[in-house]
Amino acid sequence: MAKVIVYPPTSMILSDLVERMGHKALVVPEAVRRLVTASGIESPPLNMTPEEPKKGLRYAAVDVPSGVRGRMSLIGPIIEEAEAAIIVEDPGWLTGCAGCSRTNELVRLLIRTKGVPVLDLSYPTNDAEAKVFVSKIRTFLEGLK
Amino acid sequence: MLVTKYVITSSESNILPSDIAMKIYGSKYEVLVKETCFGVVINGEEEVINALVKEIRALDPAGIFIKDRGFPPGDPRRCRGRRGGGARPGFYMIESESKMLPLISRALAFQGDIPDIPEKKKPLPIKRLEEIIKNGLS
Amino acid sequence: MIRIAQLSCGSEYSGIQKEIERAAETVGAKIIYPEVSLEDILNVEKTFGVSVSSGDLNLAMARAVRIVQNPDLADAVIVMTCFRCAEAAIIRSEIRKYIHEHSKIPVLSYSFTERTTAETLLTRMEALVTTVKYRGLLAREKQKGLTAGIDSGSTTTKAVVMRDNVVIGTGWVPTNEVLKSAEDALQAALKMAGVAKEDIAATGVTGYGRFLVGKHINARLIQEEITVNSKGAVFLADAQKGTATVIDIGGMDNKAISVQDGIPGGFTMGGICAGASGRFLELTAKRLGVDITELGKLALKGDYRNVAMNSYCIVFGTQSLVNSLALGCKPEDVAMAACHSVAEQVFEQQLQEVEVKEPVIMVGGTSLIEGLPKAMEELLHVLVTVPKNAQYIGAVGAALLVSGLLED
Repeated sequence: MAKVIVYPPTSMILSDLVERMGHKALVVPEAVRRLVTASGIESPPLNMTPEEPKKGLRYAAVDVPSGVRGRMSLIGPIIEEAEAAIIVEDPGWLTGCAGCSRTNELVRLLIRTKGVPVLDLSYPTNDAEAKVFVSKIRTFLEGLK
Repeated sequence: MLVTKYVITSSESNILPSDIAMKIYGSKYEVLVKETCFGVVINGEEEVINALVKEIRALDPAGIFIKDRGFPPGDPRRCRGRRGGGARPGFYMIESESKMLPLISRALAFQGDIPDIPEKKKPLPIKRLEEIIKNGLS
Repeated sequence: MIRIAQLSCGSEYSGIQKEIERAAETVGAKIIYPEVSLEDILNVEKTFGVSVSSGDLNLAMARAVRIVQNPDLADAVIVMTCFRCAEAAIIRSEIRKYIHEHSKIPVLSYSFTERTTAETLLTRMEALVTTVKYRGLLAREKQKGLTAGIDSGSTTTKAVVMRDNVVIGTGWVPTNEVLKSAEDALQAALKMAGVAKEDIAATGVTGYGRFLVGKHINARLIQEEITVNSKGAVFLADAQKGTATVIDIGGMDNKAISVQDGIPGGFTMGGICAGASGRFLELTAKRLGVDITELGKLALKGDYRNVAMNSYCIVFGTQSLVNSLALGCKPEDVAMAACHSVAEQVFEQQLQEVEVKEPVIMVGGTSLIEGLPKAMEELLHVLVTVPKNAQYIGAVGAALLVSGLLED
């Protein structure tokens, strides 16, 4: 079983396919869960405090917007854990944790420069593309130890 | 640790969110269930949820999808009723991907040869464009 | 309950969403998020005019479109994005303009960092809520009866006494002890007006020390500077109807307010850099060995182009001025260079965030330093008005507004 990071990091389809094919999908909601279930913090909605953008300094300098660094404090540690990655081309409707394009660019860069196997795809738009999409993911995941 | 997961059904699946909810209600599992318009949200101990997810998937292996969620169901910190309305930003991503689920479901269920996809259209060769312009102007 | 629609990108991930909500709650408002569909977000290029690569900005634009289509959804709007994000800065400004042009809903625009607190947002939020809540009071054009106004500023405390639309007494003292300075300024104004404190029907208070002073003297009106100053400015400049832009370069912060019929429509409040404040001019006057009241007249004779200024900073900018003097630059050129430096910073950093419409009215103590309005005129290419009693702007606005409460 390999730890596979998916991009977009909040994708239901990708994380589902990774998990149903027997691997561990590394996803942002798990990081959000750690924050929102932490006791003693009361900072709705995400329980993020100004400390999170500071933790993000590990991934981006202080002249990078606070929203990028805050998001990186959630996604960065997941990238560090990843043993493989599936990256789907930006479909133009990413919101929320994936709603900042600057963060997304940094995330893709850090994944690609990490040196783990990466599968590049686009979201399917018809049945033929969907078959190829699923098949490529299956083959990629089967090749991981 | 308590975890929360979305169980989302493809619009072409014969299984309805209410079927899933009924199955959980009638099961031995001690989990919290909340029905939504696109599926159900389940919350419980990690091992329990993982076991349950396997059983739910079996209802329609290619038509049911699972996604992790950070917030427990109905969490007032995220609930739109308590937070001045408006869907939480991440909702639009679930909506976008949900529309794609029938494609993914059919692909998962498919067992034949993977089709060749014709390559994406390339720009017209400059020579051909030149001919068209010349013909158009003459 | 005032409903403030939040159109933003990054506030949750910067860890400051709670601060925004706390500031709103303090001023009796609630943050709301207009409902939009996925299609609304995907169509912003058509409805708003552009779509960008960051989805949360597209969501903010879709929400702006929804508010313009259904103005009943919100009473006010805040547009907030991360400081230092270029993509967001463009969209934030365009959303503000879009709402300003297509609705009557007041808008506040702000760029935050993880260090932004509820306290930073409070005065801005208070002004936003006031423009919604007291629209009737702010529409008031005449002062009636005998009232007083106190502006407890960070550097100076000003007071006026007004009777039937005329300023009959003024007081001006440096702010040392907030309460004592307020008392001294008021006494001076009363003395000049020739009236007793007991005869004053009501007093309005504004400025940094407004809560402390207001509570102490049992003021009828305690109000932030943005609404009060815009009211005072259009009253003194006789520009109560139509558009106006009010610029107030203060001791600790600067305000640029876009006014329509005496009511603020959009505003910015900046206060990060001392180099863009009255303090910089004070320092320059000291270096030149002239009184601050003489600096402006001296500057009018100078040309800023003759002085090389490498920095807006109060430390390094002042160093440039000192160096130029050593190199033989004329004091008048140095004085004008200082005025130009302050004006240019306000022009670059704040006036881009509001609609600059004529008349442009400069107020506050710094507006009396003649070189400053002149430098602003050169930058804006419009005439800048400095009304009589411009330094008493807040006190006049407070005295005017509080007289409106007497009739209710």
